[in-house]
Amino acid sequence: MSSETAAELVERSSNTFFGDVWVNFVRWNLKAVRNPFVLVVSLVQPIIFLVLFTEVFGNIAGQELPPGIPNYDTYLVPAIAIQVSLAAAVTSGIGLVNDIENGMFEKVLVSPMNRTAVFLGKTLAELLRIAVQIGIILGLGVVLGAEIETGILGAIAIMGIGVLFSLWFIAFSNTLAIITKDQESTIIGANLLQFPLLFLSSAFVPVESLPSWIQTVAKVNPVTYGVDAARAVILDADVMEIWDITAFDGIWNTLVPAIGVLAGLGLVLGAVAVFMIRRAASADVR
Amino acid sequence: MTDSPADGRRQFAIDAENLQVTYSDGTEAVKEVSLSIPRGEFFGFLGPNGAGKTTTIKTMSTLLKPTGGTIEVNGFDAVAEPRKVRESIGYMAQETSVDEELTARENIRFACESYGVPRSERSERINELLELVDLADVAEKTADDFSGGMKKRLDAATALVHRPPLVFLDEPTTGLDPKARNRLWEYFQRINDQGTTIFLTTQYLEEADQLCDRLAVILDGEIVADGTPSDLKREVGGEILDVNLDDGADQYQQAARIARDSGIFPETPTVDVTDHGITVTAQTARQHGTDLLVALRDEGITVTGFNVRAPTLDDVFLAITGEHLDDDAVDSEETTAAAAARPDGGEQ
Repeated sequence: MSSETAAELVERSSNTFFGDVWVNFVRWNLKAVRNPFVLVVSLVQPIIFLVLFTEVFGNIAGQELPPGIPNYDTYLVPAIAIQVSLAAAVTSGIGLVNDIENGMFEKVLVSPMNRTAVFLGKTLAELLRIAVQIGIILGLGVVLGAEIETGILGAIAIMGIGVLFSLWFIAFSNTLAIITKDQESTIIGANLLQFPLLFLSSAFVPVESLPSWIQTVAKVNPVTYGVDAARAVILDADVMEIWDITAFDGIWNTLVPAIGVLAGLGLVLGAVAVFMIRRAASADVR
Repeated sequence: MTDSPADGRRQFAIDAENLQVTYSDGTEAVKEVSLSIPRGEFFGFLGPNGAGKTTTIKTMSTLLKPTGGTIEVNGFDAVAEPRKVRESIGYMAQETSVDEELTARENIRFACESYGVPRSERSERINELLELVDLADVAEKTADDFSGGMKKRLDAATALVHRPPLVFLDEPTTGLDPKARNRLWEYFQRINDQGTTIFLTTQYLEEADQLCDRLAVILDGEIVADGTPSDLKREVGGEILDVNLDDGADQYQQAARIARDSGIFPETPTVDVTDHGITVTAQTARQHGTDLLVALRDEGITVTGFNVRAPTLDDVFLAITGEHLDDDAVDSEETTAAAAARPDGGEQ
């Protein structure tokens, strides 16, 4: 009787790769909706920044802006979109640490699901959330007075840039999660980096108005590339200050290098994160 | 000729030979474990903390690759075909594993989807399991408000979604109150009655005694005893006489000497000094017990109480390992002894 059960069972477990991706995608979306902390908190700080910065610094900063920029709101919104991406990416690692702490990580490992599909599903849910949150920020920005030169398509492109930008930080927060296996350390580690990353970049004021050491840091800071790409789209102009690239046409002089750098960084750190997760998930005795 | 070696193996839910797990720092968590567990058996794996119970269970459930030996689970090689093994087992970890942000129903649904339970059967299966673990009335509540016992039951339900022929339970009732524990026992008994093989590790000897068809005791990574609960108790050798004495370590030692050396018991008994006096294990403990009490009185040692009883698993454990499994287990053993006096065997 029991041997029948075993045979019957193997036949039944016909999970496909995409089925496994979907199951995990659904689970993580459900968790995001369930947990207002995840959804709201990663939005609140960027919104506070958006409102305070435009209201407090709007007048002064607006005068310092290069010509052709309608107002500080328009200048700032791309930076806030990237901030949202950064803040949301931290929750990816927190989610992983949570799963490790509450045993769900092991539970998934002992199930027949494809491991790559498990993490792909989780990450896709997080990317979707980032796109939605950036959409909210763009809507709010427009309400406050920002102007998206490139219209709806531009807005979608900015969401795409935000998603692309998030990859390296998602990878980073997951790596941190695997290394520390501790929720607080992951939160602190990832959050500590957020402010320096934002301020030592082209996010809030033009790089040329910053001290030279910050200009140097800004050059190697991924946030600069994310913000510049999003800003190029919102202004429909070549806005990259840190490199003077003229090989392409207009806006593409910013987009091509920025997207190239972000994709490369995402790949490299993504590979590290995949390696770390695989190691943590492997059955090899250590 | 149906008993070809392959067929023979198929009869076993678990067939492990010379299993070894050595960590890279040289710790031999499992030294050499061989186990054959027939289908349908309720098997108990006992041992103190750190003896290698969880490591063994992890190798059998594919979470850990053994550094030596072979394991077949439901006829599949655990190292070569881990996915086949995973499809055919349920696993309940020592730490309760539920997603607290999801409801009871969603937790079970996620497990159904993880194990590829067909969509058409899913909702029926979920309801059936919710009933089985008595969580139907809180099915739509998120698990973060559940008590420890409720979470354990939910965890157990998620391990059974695909009706696995073999279920691993790693200390499933540790930390639960007696009522919650009893409820889980009933439930494990029920799925075993339905034909599911169960591999249980536990710290509670009462649990092992009540539930298990067969037991193995692991100590320092090696199996040191193996048999049915009554076999193991028989191996202790005879009955046990507990003698409580007035305080004083000297008195205890003197009493132990008298019990051992004065020839009261025809064979040389095993004598242990306990917290309250001495314990004498002998075939003739019942016949010659009073002689010992008289001898003690003649030596001026005050006996404050005594009791003759059949050995419990704790005595087995003490005899094998030289230590009690844990204090808690001693307590539950006493309750079992009291409950065993009633015909219903302590079921509530």
